[in-house]
Amino acid sequence: MKTWVRNVRLETGESTYEDGSMKTETGLFHIQVSEGLIENILPASSNVPVTNSIDMEGKLALPAFKEMHNHLDKTYLSLGWRACRPVNNLPERLELEAAELEALSETVMQRASAMIELHLNNGVNHIRTHVNIDPFIKLKNLEGVKKALEAYDQYVTYEIVAFPQHGLLAHEEMPGLLRQALNSGATILGALDPAGIDNDIEKSLQLTMDIAKDCQVDVDLHLHDRGQVGFYTMDKWLDMVKEQNYKGRTAFSHAFGISGLPPRLQQQFAKKLGEHDVEIMSTIPISINHQLIPIDLLTKEGVNVALGCDGFYDSWSPYFSGDILEKLHNFCDYTGKANERSLRESLSLITQGVTPLTIEGQQQWPQVGMDASFVFIEASCSAEAIARLPKNRMLMHKGKLYHPKH
Amino acid sequence: MRLLLKNVRLETGYLYEQSFVTATKTELFDVLIENGIFVEIAPSIEVNDAVVVDANMQLLIPSFKEMHTHIDKTYFSGEWKAPTIATEGIFSRFKEEALLLPKQLDVAEDRAHAMVQHYIKNGHTHIRTHVNVDPQIETKHIDIVKRVLDSYQDQITYEIVAFPQHGLLRNGLSFLTIMEKALQMGATHIGGVDPALVDRNSSEVIKTTFQLAEKYGVGIDIHLHEQNTLGEFDIQLILNEMEQRSFKKDVTISHAFALADLPEKSLNPLITRMAANQVGLTTTIPIGAGPITIPVKYLYDKGVKVAFGHDSLVDHWSPFGSGDTIQKLNQFIERFGYIDEWHIGQSLKYATGGITPLNLTGEQQWPKAGDTANALLVDAVSSAHLIARRCPISTVLSKGKVIHKEEIELKGEFR
Repeated sequence: MKTWVRNVRLETGESTYEDGSMKTETGLFHIQVSEGLIENILPASSNVPVTNSIDMEGKLALPAFKEMHNHLDKTYLSLGWRACRPVNNLPERLELEAAELEALSETVMQRASAMIELHLNNGVNHIRTHVNIDPFIKLKNLEGVKKALEAYDQYVTYEIVAFPQHGLLAHEEMPGLLRQALNSGATILGALDPAGIDNDIEKSLQLTMDIAKDCQVDVDLHLHDRGQVGFYTMDKWLDMVKEQNYKGRTAFSHAFGISGLPPRLQQQFAKKLGEHDVEIMSTIPISINHQLIPIDLLTKEGVNVALGCDGFYDSWSPYFSGDILEKLHNFCDYTGKANERSLRESLSLITQGVTPLTIEGQQQWPQVGMDASFVFIEASCSAEAIARLPKNRMLMHKGKLYHPKH
Repeated sequence: MRLLLKNVRLETGYLYEQSFVTATKTELFDVLIENGIFVEIAPSIEVNDAVVVDANMQLLIPSFKEMHTHIDKTYFSGEWKAPTIATEGIFSRFKEEALLLPKQLDVAEDRAHAMVQHYIKNGHTHIRTHVNVDPQIETKHIDIVKRVLDSYQDQITYEIVAFPQHGLLRNGLSFLTIMEKALQMGATHIGGVDPALVDRNSSEVIKTTFQLAEKYGVGIDIHLHEQNTLGEFDIQLILNEMEQRSFKKDVTISHAFALADLPEKSLNPLITRMAANQVGLTTTIPIGAGPITIPVKYLYDKGVKVAFGHDSLVDHWSPFGSGDTIQKLNQFIERFGYIDEWHIGQSLKYATGGITPLNLTGEQQWPKAGDTANALLVDAVSSAHLIARRCPISTVLSKGKVIHKEEIELKGEFR
């Protein structure tokens, strides 16, 4: 079926204001969508059939957003409100989580669905979620999350990370459970603080590498370990990747170990990350106690950085809004990106690198033949969308418009 | 005129597990308001001649105060434009203002209205706005803002800070004449900005500010971005003036970055002196890598009142700013890592002028018969829930009058 999406605002170029600052130019277009792809783009002055069409009334189209670090299985969403309990360290947090894992696993599909809907409402069409694989609930959360994601697969693509939240080495059955998970719908192998949680960096990393190679999957390691121990863990992993020929299959989530390094070493390490095709996932923590990792330095060295909302409304954290665009907004606020170009370019962090305009201001998206996946948003340009965070967004995924249930 | 709120959820205490607050206890009440005052709060009230509003179990909380904003020079409600790159910092912005603000005069009044209405929608019944008094704009913004705010006087209260954005002394004696004129036009405070870094004459600026405040019987609210020891030094100068003159009007320091950037050894005596002199602070809870976020709870617990403000809701200084104080509170708890019911719920006070429904030990203290009925109905089951999940406001009450109402889907604890 062919559909015209009419009166869509697209960024077309840039010009300069009197005061020398930059303005993003836009125009209105009709976009024809067929079989999930963009078949035609015409200026809005053209006549196109109105029947079977959707009028966007001048809303801006942006590439659909990617949520690259999440925990769909943990959220309390759809259950009643409860706040969290402060803890002194990660093991204490894990103990609290373990105590409620079984009870929560009963409602995992319902809770994950509520969180997926929140992301769809905010314009996300791809979710990478970590899912606990642990000795308490084994593969139960994986089953529920998978079912929930499948129910929305017209609107969202996904990756599921088999995540040893309660450690890889502490429980004998973990390697087996992870392999089982990777044969049951998980697509990526997770890992967690080989120092802080497993207390044996090399052994933990090697076991992770062994499982990944056996199952031929990518690896996404949660690394909260700070300072040199966090840095060493990453550096050691990269050595292993090189020695064991497993390049291009690594993501480091959080990667707090990069923060504490002096700028010169950060630069050196960014180069190494780039050479190894490592992707970095940040949730843009704004805590006063920690420095944000140097995302701009990383991207300048060619490292792919993506953002995620992490888990929220769960036993760890009561306060994230679950809006990936707001994460980007916070990143811009935190790093002082306030002018048109720096705001505009930052969009690439939540679109896997796609921006409507090139750095030079030339239009490069959308084009005929591309996936018809968009967020339609009430803004005059992407910089405004990021700075002002308009609500009432509409997601289209491969030509299919998402209609929220709530 | 009497207003009867039925089925109102009020916080009545904390639930504990040993000494840890696990949740907030709430109960349903009817609340009767007369002449802008809460007059009766009881499980059930029946009266004949009151307007009845069914709260449908929504939570009643104190309304918000916006304690630091600039409604006179905003882009809000106008066309989007990102700020330029400020190559000379604050001085770039002064140069821009000299051209921009006269150009914006035609739309300044409409935009100020749009901002006030946005603040009301977001639950504010009080606004303190800084208003530029500078060599180009002179007192024109004061005039506009006064007119705008006066038109809401049956809805909100306000304070106007006559704000010498471009410095107090660096523009000559003729500028002081303009300042004095502004202070006679209804300003409640005299403002100021970085007396050392902008005027490069901190003692004279602070002395003159106090002289003018005394002469016109107004308070003082100074923007202080100056960091560590320089900010500390200027705060000391302000305290010296207060003590020498026995200055009793309100003195507020806005931003006060220095307090985020001093070792405890210097910070503590400064705080003690500020508390003794009842100096208030306002902060926007800035986020960033530098030491820019003042330790709000630490300061408050030591007796220095801290209040929140949004500063800008998009202007030529900053593209950010929501005007949504629930979002601001949420950013605050995330920045400081408060995750439990008690810490989150007690944070409400930074947005309400110090009022929380429950005191620190969980005794109900608001609303009480006799309190002014400035309040919000929100779809939440506790203050903590409201802040953490950013629950929506359905009704804004100012002095017992409904000044804003919107239809929202009620989800209660499942929101």
